[in-house]
Parts: sequence; structure tokens; C-alpha cells
Amino acid sequence: MKNTIKVERAKKNWTQEDLAGKIGVSRQSINSIETGKFIPSTILSLKMAKVFGTTVETVFQLEKND
Amino acid sequence: MEKINKVSGNQILFYAILWAVTFISCLVAVKEFQLPKTLGIVLSFLPTITFVFFMYHFIKGIGAMDEVQRRIQLEAAAWGFTLGILLLMTLGLLDHVVTLKKADWGYTHLIPYFFVFYLIGIIITKRKYD
Repeated sequence: MKNTIKVERAKKNWTQEDLAGKIGVSRQSINSIETGKFIPSTILSLKMAKVFGTTVETVFQLEKND
Repeated sequence: MEKINKVSGNQILFYAILWAVTFISCLVAVKEFQLPKTLGIVLSFLPTITFVFFMYHFIKGIGAMDEVQRRIQLEAAAWGFTLGILLLMTLGLLDHVVTLKKADWGYTHLIPYFFVFYLIGIIITKRKYD
């Protein structure tokens, strides 16, 4: 699975720390998700999309081998 | 979120240290002093009380963590558990072949290994998700 978290953060001029604070997780969690090392739960994905003001499908996309 | 984790982290550390101090004190007492049997048995079970407090706060602390941190704890526990089994299995088999000194390989000597294995798991898993 790939994601556009970095792009969405850049649009809002947020650091990983800022995003982590807004959705109630650690900065390490944001880094793990952003770098594709961890796949977030549905609820976390929804929270992330909500703070970005967009849809989950915009932030996360399935890859061909998923 | 980080503030809550810091509070529970400090609590876990406090109860871990409290348990370690209780355990070491009781260990020294039962090993070095000629105590009445009843007192010796009481001291043997005393660290259980402080360990239960540590266990409670540790498990509660994990519940307060976010999903990535919980995954790290789960994988670290898996490392700790399996490495612990490996150690006990090896020592158990070796014990039939060579005489393992109780002074070096007694029950109480094995306890630190489990914490070390858990820490090894934490290091490996944190690198994986960082």
C-alpha cells in the first residue's frame, strides 16, 4: 500500500509531530505509516483523512501486488 | 498523547525499580542470613506483591499506547518469550550432560536474561518500524 501523507502534510505545512498531535499518536507512528513500514487501522486512516480534509482513498492507495 | 505515555512510562519505571529493589533485598536476605523457615518463605513471596504492581502498570501502559507502539511491544514480547524458551530448553538439555552450577544457573540467575531478551526485542522492533 502506498500513501500521500507527506504530500498532504506539505500542503498544510505540518511536521510529523504536528500531524501526530492532531490525531493522538506518536511521531514514530506517523513516520512508520508514512514510510510504509506499518499499515494503519481503519480508524487511524479515517482520522488522518479527516484532519487532512480529504478522503481515505486520496491518502492511501492499494498497489498492484496488494 | 506523548504526555500520557510519559506519565505511564514513569510509573512503569518506578514500579520496576521498586520490584527490583524488593527482589534483590529479599534475595540477599534469604541467601546471606540464617533466617527462620517461615520468615524465609514470607520473604520469598514478598517480591510478588511489588511485581504485581509493576505488571499491572506495564500492561495498563501498553493499553494506553498507540497502535504502532503496541505492535512494537507485541513483537518485543514475542522475541523475549521465544528467546527465553530457547535458553531454558538449552539449559534443560545441558543439565543432563554437564553439571550446571546452581550458583551460576539457578532460577534467580535466569531472571535478568528475560529482561535482556525483551530489550533485544524492543531494539530490533523499534528499528523495524522507525
